[in-house]
Amino acid sequence: MSVPNQSRFAATVLLLLKLRAVLVLAILLVAFSILSPSFLTVNNLSILAKHVAISAILAVGMTFVILAGGIDLSVGSVAGLAGMVAGGLLTVGIGGHTTGAVAAIAIALLVSAAVGLLNGLLVSQLAVAPFIATLGTLYIARGAALLLSQGKTFPNLAETATRGSTGFSILGQSFVLGVPLPVWLMVAIAAVAVVVAKRTPFGRHVYAVGGNERAARLAGIRVERVKLLTYCFCSLCAGLVGLIIASQLESAHPATGETFELNAIAAVVLGGTSLMGGRGSIGGSIIGAFVIGVLADGLVMIGVSEFWQIVIKGGVIVIAVTVDQMQTRLQSRMAAAPSHTGGLREAV
Amino acid sequence: MNDPRVGGDDVVLESRGVTKRYGATAALENVTFRVRRGAVNVLIGENGAGKSTLMRLLAGVEQPTSGEIWKDGRQLQMRSPRDAAAASIAIVHQDLAVLENLNLAENIFAGRELLQSVLFVDRHAEETRGAAALRELRKPLDMRCAAGDLSLGNRQVVEVARSLVCGAQVLILDEPTSALSAAESASLFRVIEDLKQRGVAIVYISHRLNELLHLGDFFTVLRDGCVVGEGIRGSVDRRWIVERMSGRDTDGEIIDGSSAAFANNRSLLEVSGLRSGLAGQSAKEGLNLQVRAGEIVGIYGLLGAGRTEFLEAIAGLRRIDSGEVRLGGKRISVRSVGDALAAGIALVPEDRQRDGLVPELSISGNISLSSVGSFARCGWVRRSAEAARVQEVAGQMQITAHDLELPVTTLSGGNQQKVVLARCLMRNPRVLLLDEPTRGVDVGAKAEIYRTLRALASGGLTIVFATSEIEEARVLADRILVLTQGSFVAEFLRSEATDAALFAAACPTLEAAG
Repeated sequence: MSVPNQSRFAATVLLLLKLRAVLVLAILLVAFSILSPSFLTVNNLSILAKHVAISAILAVGMTFVILAGGIDLSVGSVAGLAGMVAGGLLTVGIGGHTTGAVAAIAIALLVSAAVGLLNGLLVSQLAVAPFIATLGTLYIARGAALLLSQGKTFPNLAETATRGSTGFSILGQSFVLGVPLPVWLMVAIAAVAVVVAKRTPFGRHVYAVGGNERAARLAGIRVERVKLLTYCFCSLCAGLVGLIIASQLESAHPATGETFELNAIAAVVLGGTSLMGGRGSIGGSIIGAFVIGVLADGLVMIGVSEFWQIVIKGGVIVIAVTVDQMQTRLQSRMAAAPSHTGGLREAV
Repeated sequence: MNDPRVGGDDVVLESRGVTKRYGATAALENVTFRVRRGAVNVLIGENGAGKSTLMRLLAGVEQPTSGEIWKDGRQLQMRSPRDAAAASIAIVHQDLAVLENLNLAENIFAGRELLQSVLFVDRHAEETRGAAALRELRKPLDMRCAAGDLSLGNRQVVEVARSLVCGAQVLILDEPTSALSAAESASLFRVIEDLKQRGVAIVYISHRLNELLHLGDFFTVLRDGCVVGEGIRGSVDRRWIVERMSGRDTDGEIIDGSSAAFANNRSLLEVSGLRSGLAGQSAKEGLNLQVRAGEIVGIYGLLGAGRTEFLEAIAGLRRIDSGEVRLGGKRISVRSVGDALAAGIALVPEDRQRDGLVPELSISGNISLSSVGSFARCGWVRRSAEAARVQEVAGQMQITAHDLELPVTTLSGGNQQKVVLARCLMRNPRVLLLDEPTRGVDVGAKAEIYRTLRALASGGLTIVFATSEIEEARVLADRILVLTQGSFVAEFLRSEATDAALFAAACPTLEAAG
């Protein structure tokens, strides 16, 4: 009979679709290594890792929001705002060598979390569509970042030790065991996120809310609180990214983070998380972030024009979403077919 | 009055004078309902009688407009399903609220996860205890299997297991057998018997009289949001229930209105060898159907029999894999809703809220939705022509509204259904398909809709409707086809159909179930 063959074929296709991010990453790494001799060098990989760390941290936060059935467009603006808040505080000066830097970072993260809280309240309490709510905060946060300096850059943040700014550069520029600190931060955040998603009640509630909000509510899950927390965490991740960038550049630009939200969403979808919510993983998003990072970095290395890079990135996003749809359809078709035989097995 | 076997008046949960209003319509009026420990408390009523509303109040999903809910001598203030769970009240919803993307253990413990070292979910303990609960329910299933892959019967068992592990004292089952095969129902009844022995109070909602009489210890009948009868096992029989359930005899006159004038008409709609996606799961040959002009054909079947899929395929909503549709002898291709409408086939969908109405539009906007184009000249909608035609159709359908420009959501369920009907009629279809034509419609409006459909059929309109209510099939149809697991298994003329014969035909055979 051809039916088992056919379903085995479908299962294989499904597995390949699920592993698509890993496959694409492997292909990219091999291709760029061949095309550019300087791609696989310690120096380049270190730069690459720093880039990837930034999009991976954003993607981890975004994954929780998307898993719970939402979306957060404001992350890029929040990153910009966090950098500007810290930059402003360091320029004004609020403490000594380290206390100043720590306070600036803490306050910037608090401001980021506040934006997340606003997103969460709009979505969960006022039932504003996530796309619209976070589109609004995208503009609000960006406008606030511009207002802080009247559109100007806060420069030379690492100049004066007395204002704490030399401490500030540690965040983005220091190395631990030869690996950049932002990469360690990415690893730590990803590890915690994986455990939270897989092992804690909260993680399970996130999947439940994204899978079937009504059923989750009827099961007694506090749907509103779950959504609120996902947006807060996502904004915190975005704020941290903004701080890392400001620390690396030793200056804060109000335009930092523009279109980061698209990178983050693309990474999440590439990693196999459904935009409809309820299905996906943190690990997948990390790999997705690697794909995007390697793609951007590699295209520069092999000398593809800046404009073509943008076109290619857009193509990747479109393909990712299309593949996501194909996977969903294939899965539901496969679920429809064996459910009958499943019933037979149970009865026998 | 006291029956010692079922604990007499050992009331565990009680609604006292509960009223629930949605806008202007009262779904429940001063309802006092007592739930006894260790007994099956049956709640009976027609669609729209308020059964599900009462259950949503008892389960904390909604709050009463007025009145009180008492449990074990204490008044309960329930604001959410969490509060109900805390009061040991569990509910299995009619449309089964399982989390399809999670596995069985995760479903059973959703919202009340077992923990180890405070922070983490104890998956091992969940799987062990979940498996134990399912064994008690005589359904040992794999805890790691995704809930979305389960049959409806097994999903239901998983939901019952949910309430078991949290030690529910009151278990509400809302139409639990509406989607189950005969074998699955039988095993559910065994579970109910077990739970009863353990002192769990079961609230059982259904409109299948045989089941109710077999299972029930206490009976409460609701009609139009009021309690109209209470009785205990032994003092209640079929007639007692039917008399109270149906109340005024609105159905009689429609039966008289039946005509056989179509008998000489030629068959208008012919469907042969139709197979379409999911509906064709077990139908090897595909479905055949012939309907004469002016005839009303009812398709009766249980949930999941393929009723909706069949109608959707003819209406162009679902891809037809093989087979053909002929209208007036001419083969038509229905690859989209537009094709079907152009050919003269219109569908009134089952779920009015989801598929039928645009809540943001006015009543008249909803009515003219699929025919706006016909009022347009050079791309401009001529409002006056539109308004005149809407008025006319609304009058024909007896839509009772002060102003057709009001939002459609201000109407009652019955009037909303008439709006969807009116929209279909505005296209002057030759064939009208209706999926559950009176779902969520109160008794009075039901009779009006039946009367209107009957009148339309006398005027030559061909009507095919799908229903899960035996009563509806018998009252409205000239001819009834029974659909079971994707095949037409029996056909009855109006005069031959009996409840028992229809129901027996609709239940999947045991061989098919396993």
